[in-house]
Formats: sequence, C-alpha cells, structure tokens
Amino acid sequence: MQIELKGRPIMSGFSRGRALVSNSPLSFLGGVDPNTGIVIEKNHDLNGKSVADAILCFPHGHGSTVGSYVLYSLVKRGVGPKAIVNEAADPVIVVGAVIAEIPMVDKIDISQINTGDLVEVDGDKGIVKILERRSLVSD
Amino acid sequence: MYLTREEERIYEGEEGWAYQIAMKILVKLGDLFEADRLIPIDSAHVSGVSYKTIGDAAIEFLEALNKAGAKSKVRSTANPAGIDYNHLEEMATLPKLHEKQTEILRLYRSIGIDPILTCTPYYIRKPKEGAHLAWAESSTVIYANSVLHSWTNREGGPSALAAALIGKTPDYGIHKPENRKAEVSVKIETDLRNEVEFGALGAYLGKILKDEIPFFEGLPHPEETWLKHLGAAMASTGMSSLFYPCSSCPKSSDRLETLSVDKGDLKNAFESLSTTNEDPDMVYIGCPHCSFEEVKEVAQRIKGRKVKDGVKLWICTSRHVRRKADNFVKIIEAAGGKVISDTCAVVTWLKEINVDVLMTNSAKTVYYAPTMNRVETIFASLDQCIKAACQK
Repeated sequence: MQIELKGRPIMSGFSRGRALVSNSPLSFLGGVDPNTGIVIEKNHDLNGKSVADAILCFPHGHGSTVGSYVLYSLVKRGVGPKAIVNEAADPVIVVGAVIAEIPMVDKIDISQINTGDLVEVDGDKGIVKILERRSLVSD
Repeated sequence: MYLTREEERIYEGEEGWAYQIAMKILVKLGDLFEADRLIPIDSAHVSGVSYKTIGDAAIEFLEALNKAGAKSKVRSTANPAGIDYNHLEEMATLPKLHEKQTEILRLYRSIGIDPILTCTPYYIRKPKEGAHLAWAESSTVIYANSVLHSWTNREGGPSALAAALIGKTPDYGIHKPENRKAEVSVKIETDLRNEVEFGALGAYLGKILKDEIPFFEGLPHPEETWLKHLGAAMASTGMSSLFYPCSSCPKSSDRLETLSVDKGDLKNAFESLSTTNEDPDMVYIGCPHCSFEEVKEVAQRIKGRKVKDGVKLWICTSRHVRRKADNFVKIIEAAGGKVISDTCAVVTWLKEINVDVLMTNSAKTVYYAPTMNRVETIFASLDQCIKAACQK
C-alpha cells in the first residue's frame, strides 16, 4: 500500500517519519512550548502532543510572525518537526521552514493522512507519500 | 521568480549562510505570493525587538545571523524594546529580562539595524513619496502607505530583517499599482472630533474590511495624528495596510461597494473598547509613539496640575521627539508624569509593576492589552485621560 499526494514544493529537502495531523490552524508563538515542542495552545486538537520528530500536518499557520523564530528554535533544540505539510502555506510557516531548514509542501489534502502514518516528504518535488498506515504498524 | 545573476549567487550561498537564508526567505515569500522579481527598497523597519514579545527563539536566530557576519544593506530601524534604560526606576525589576533585552539590542545593532526603538520612525526621517520599503509593525505600514504615500507590504519581523540584509523585497501585494486601488467606499455620516473617535472608527472598520482598501467620504480635513490612530486601530483588528483618507484623493472610476458608518455604529464601537469602569492605576498616552504635537498637547493640558498618588502617567515617544520636545517634557515631568522612550506599555511588563487597570486614548492598545498585558482597559480621550490621572 502506498498513496502518493501531489502538492506544491515550498522548502526543499527529504524527510521520513510519523505523521502528526491536526485539523486546526497552529500558532507557533504561544501555541507550542519552545523548550519541549509540546502543543500548549488551548482547545487545540494537538494540545499536549509533541511536534518533535513528527511530519507535522495542519491546515495553515496563524498569529504572530515571531512564530517563524519559534519553529527555528524548536528544530535547533532537537524538539522540532522533521517536515511540514500544509493545506495552504502562509508567510509565518514558510519563513519558519526556510530558516529552520526543514522540508515543506503545501496544497495537500491532509484529511488523507492520519496521525501515526509513516510518511515521506519530498520538498523538491512537492510530494507526500503515505508508506504505511498507522493500524498496520502500531497499537 | 526571476533572479539576477547576483541574486542567484547569493541564493546558492556564495555570499555565506546569512545572506543565503535571507535571500531564501524573500524568494520563498515571492513564490508564495506570485512575485516575478525582487525590487530595491529605501529602508527596512523590523519588529520583534522586545524580549517580552519575541522570547529566546529569536535571540538564537539573531545570534546565528551575527556569527555568519550579516549586515544590513539599507537604512534599517527597529520597533520598541521591552525597557527604557533611562527610566529603570519605572520598569519591572527583573534582571534576567534586562540581560536578555540588552543582548537582543546588541545583536540588532551589530547587524546594522539602527536601534532607535520606535514604532514611528517616520517622525525621525520621512520616507519619500513613492519609495518602496519593507516595513514591519502594522501601524507604521498603514501610515507609510496612506499618509506618507510610500509603498510597503505588511512585513513580519523575519521578512523585514531579510529585506534589510538583501536591500530588496519581492514585488507583490501593494508594491504593485494595480493592487493599490480603493475597493470599498466608506461614508462617514457623523462628526469625528478627536483621536479616539478616529481610533474607534478604525477598530470598527478593521473587523469588517479585513484587508480591503477603503476610500473615505465625509472625513473633514483630519490631523495627521488622528489618521495615525485610525490606521493603527484598523490594522490591529483587521489586516489593512492602506486607506485613502481625503475627499481630494483620486477616485477609482469603478463603482465601489459602499459602507456607511453612523453615530450609533461609532458609539457602539467606542463603548466596546473598554472592559471596566474602575479607576485606572496607569494612564497611557503614546500608542503609536507620540508626535511632537501630541507631547505638546499633553503638556498644555497638564501644566500646573499634579498626577494623583497611586497613578502612573506614561507618555511614550521616540528619543528623537523626546529631545525635540524637551520643554514640554519638563512640564509633564514637573506634574509627575513620565515621558518614556524606547518602549511602550504594550511591549513592556505591566503586571510586574502592579498595573491592573489601564486607561488610554489608543484603540490599538485597548485591543491588545487585555491579552498581551492581562490588564483591564478604559478607552478615553486625551482630555479625559489627563483629568483621570490628575488631582482635582
């Protein structure tokens, strides 16, 4: 089983890991603890989950442009996501991925991806591949 | 996006990591917004200076840029910081915060950003009409576009910094004449008499218009400081970066959608900006930072009076205006007010200096302070603010 989703390349690079999927926009400033990578935004569907080493999939960013610096800081401290997959890229997240130097793809229907799926992000081609569904490998 | 050979070289990293990352930011944003090229800018203005708003994350990035030898290519200024080092007795006494703030300022300075620390850099040096800029700080952006007729998108802290290092910005948004046309005609069917009524109008319109460009009908010849309050409020509650304030402005030939604002709308908007009717423990004038005229107006109203015990009166402005208005500053300080520079009530630590109720004539401040400073707010005109701050 392998599903290939074609999107738009934003930031180049190649990464493979477990997906962490949210249905809500995410603000890195105030929304993610910069020391631990744990989502702290109130009433967010990822509240309490860690973005560390995840292929982080969410619709788009919101909030302060300082969020770009938070994404940089998370990745430099080793608690950041491995790659970002968005439905619609916005400036805060794009700049964050650029300075953190992690692959990013947008224009992806993230409802196709489930948290825990093993996915591969090709930031040069703008392709997200679902390699294994979560049910086959965990629980 | 088309890149010149020189831009290509920087993108490939031949000028080092700092310029490469700055170029990547500009190119990726340009691609996102379908810019076809980069254009030179006259100046940059960066936000993200107060340690209170940016925290440690930005320090790490600024350190990395610094190590890699980044230097600004154009005249670049910076937003207010978290502390006025000349008024330390007024500031929260938290040594760690002071250390971090000092470090941030050192890093910006060494990158070549002029630490004038104000949200009104245009009072120090006006950009030319028609000049392209890369300014962050939404109140500064909307003032530059609407009152000074220079051209800038609403940049974020990182993109303005990247533009400073490269001396260019991607050509999209309101850098393009076709995107600067008025989209909605706003009919003002009531008299607007002062900065707070303009501020309330801005707060009301920002929510409705989001990023649409309004053309005003029925605004009398307003003072520039009133337009500053209108724009700052519009850009806070919405995403506006440009408005056309006067009846003499060229009208778009297209028939515009019309929005009317009457006395009742304005009254509701005004009242919704206060969260309490308790007595204030801080009265704050200076968001955006005061012009020379605004400092003068405060001095004229406060001359011969005394600020109440237990009330702080803060007038925030740039160092430049503070120096120019020295005679008025003396009058305000003799009355017990403080004329603070390099910071403002919103980006400093208020709870730590025991402020719970803030009264101000700034619609922008009352929009942000309840969440950014966790204080209750009272929205009132300059007259009422000075009266509330002073003994009877």
